Amino acid sequence: MLKPLLVFLVLGPLVGLSAYLCKVDLAGFLPGLVKGMEVLRFFFPPDWSSLREMVGPALVTVLLAAVATPLGVLLSFFFGLAGARNLSPTWLRSIARTLIGVERALPEIIVLLLLVAALGVGPFPGVIALAIGSVGMLGKLFADAIEELDAKVLESVATVGATHSQIIRFAVLPEVMPALLSNSIFRFEVNLRASVLLGAVGAGGIGFELQKAMALLEYERAMMAVLVTLLLVFGAERVSDYLRRRVLDGGKLA
Amino acid sequence: MLNVEQLTKKLPDGRALLKGISFRVARGEFVGVLGASGAGKSLTLRCILGLTQTDGGTATLSSNDGQTFELTTCKGRCQREARRRMGVIFQGFNLVKRLRVIDNVMIGRLAQIHPLRSWLYGFTDAEAAEALEALRRVKMEKYADRITGSLSGGEMQRVAIARAVFQKPSIYLADEPIASLDPSNSLAIMKLLQPLARETPVIGVFHQPEMTARFCTRVIAIKHGKVVYDGNPVLSQSQLEDIYGDELMQVLRPASAPVVDTGILATPYISRVEETAADLLAKQTT
Repeated sequence: MLKPLLVFLVLGPLVGLSAYLCKVDLAGFLPGLVKGMEVLRFFFPPDWSSLREMVGPALVTVLLAAVATPLGVLLSFFFGLAGARNLSPTWLRSIARTLIGVERALPEIIVLLLLVAALGVGPFPGVIALAIGSVGMLGKLFADAIEELDAKVLESVATVGATHSQIIRFAVLPEVMPALLSNSIFRFEVNLRASVLLGAVGAGGIGFELQKAMALLEYERAMMAVLVTLLLVFGAERVSDYLRRRVLDGGKLA
Repeated sequence: MLNVEQLTKKLPDGRALLKGISFRVARGEFVGVLGASGAGKSLTLRCILGLTQTDGGTATLSSNDGQTFELTTCKGRCQREARRRMGVIFQGFNLVKRLRVIDNVMIGRLAQIHPLRSWLYGFTDAEAAEALEALRRVKMEKYADRITGSLSGGEMQRVAIARAVFQKPSIYLADEPIASLDPSNSLAIMKLLQPLARETPVIGVFHQPEMTARFCTRVIAIKHGKVVYDGNPVLSQSQLEDIYGDELMQVLRPASAPVVDTGILATPYISRVEETAADLLAKQTT
């Protein structure tokens, strides 16, 4: 009885304070919502005639993710090896794990803005940003998957006289392959969504189309870009679900 | 062949696990190592393999190609060269479960081909045929293309033996190779090891005195980190009592095992009553 009361007494004022600081205005919100619905009207019907012009940018967006993901997977695999307790010395492991952690804390958009400043606008900085962006998630997942391997199996391959790289090739790689594939496929999905967003801030593709149309107040065209984006993301999700299920079921793919 | 002298190993807290183990293994021998849990049998093998750092003593391997390796001190390339000349069979088989059976056998040759070739998976047809021949020797050639993880324990141990055979070692080391297997599989594995030992010496850690009495040419008993017996594989009741102490009844007739009338005693896996020496060491060093 006392506990909920205490929680209420502490949280209540805090919520009130933050609402005040953020200038929450419920009275203005509802009319605003109604007005917003009216603006939505401008988006319909979508400008179907622009669909042809959207195909190219949509492909650029998919391509961006399709090139960035394998690059990111490769980079993450090396970070995973370096970050795994059972394969690398403590100093290397802490460096790798720290870099992975820093990357994870850094949103892709910030990486891209830094890269745009360094490399200029275009798909190339986008690819690099997404590849680096994959390391935060995949690097950690790969390192964890490698650490979970049975130490006895690695030891057993070592006792035939195999080198470090041979142990990786013949014991580590086959054993972590399902985790590697399923996480990479999932990351492609994430990268595709990020690639739309990065497009809007300079990487090109469908995101750039959308941003351009909005800036020119061509709302019906913008709606078309949104529909194409939805189709892309939804399609990628279905394909990725299917592939991951096959990999995890131990299908022939692995 | 293998000459172990005064091998010692201490825990970080100073307790001695191995107190000067010495023995030799020569051509034509099938040596069984017996002893109670925690006596230091497996630890001795680990020291020979360089998986555990020793605190003193030497282990010298004279290989078939006329080379000599100081196993307790050599590192890096020298250690890999030494290891490729020792075929190892583990209690838990320790195969790469997601590879095919034939790939696991091929792993036995990794140290004998260039790492770059192995990375690109360049085993030659001749090597593949030889690997298949090794599988035939353990009657597993029909399983060559199966995923290793789908095999039973007895089948996996056969594959592990095929891997060791394919390695063409100068000596086989077997660390409790039948401890996880049922009696009929245990017997089958012993029947595979016995003819191997005629060509290449085998030293194996076992928990079943009746198995070593039947198959080995010699038995070494380790008690509290010391060799207390080295000789005829057939031991008397009083000798076994001396080696095993309180564990004796478990070794001879575990409560779970039915008394079978096959001439050999059924002795399945013995549950660990105390930690093994290797376990103790792993706990204190990590």
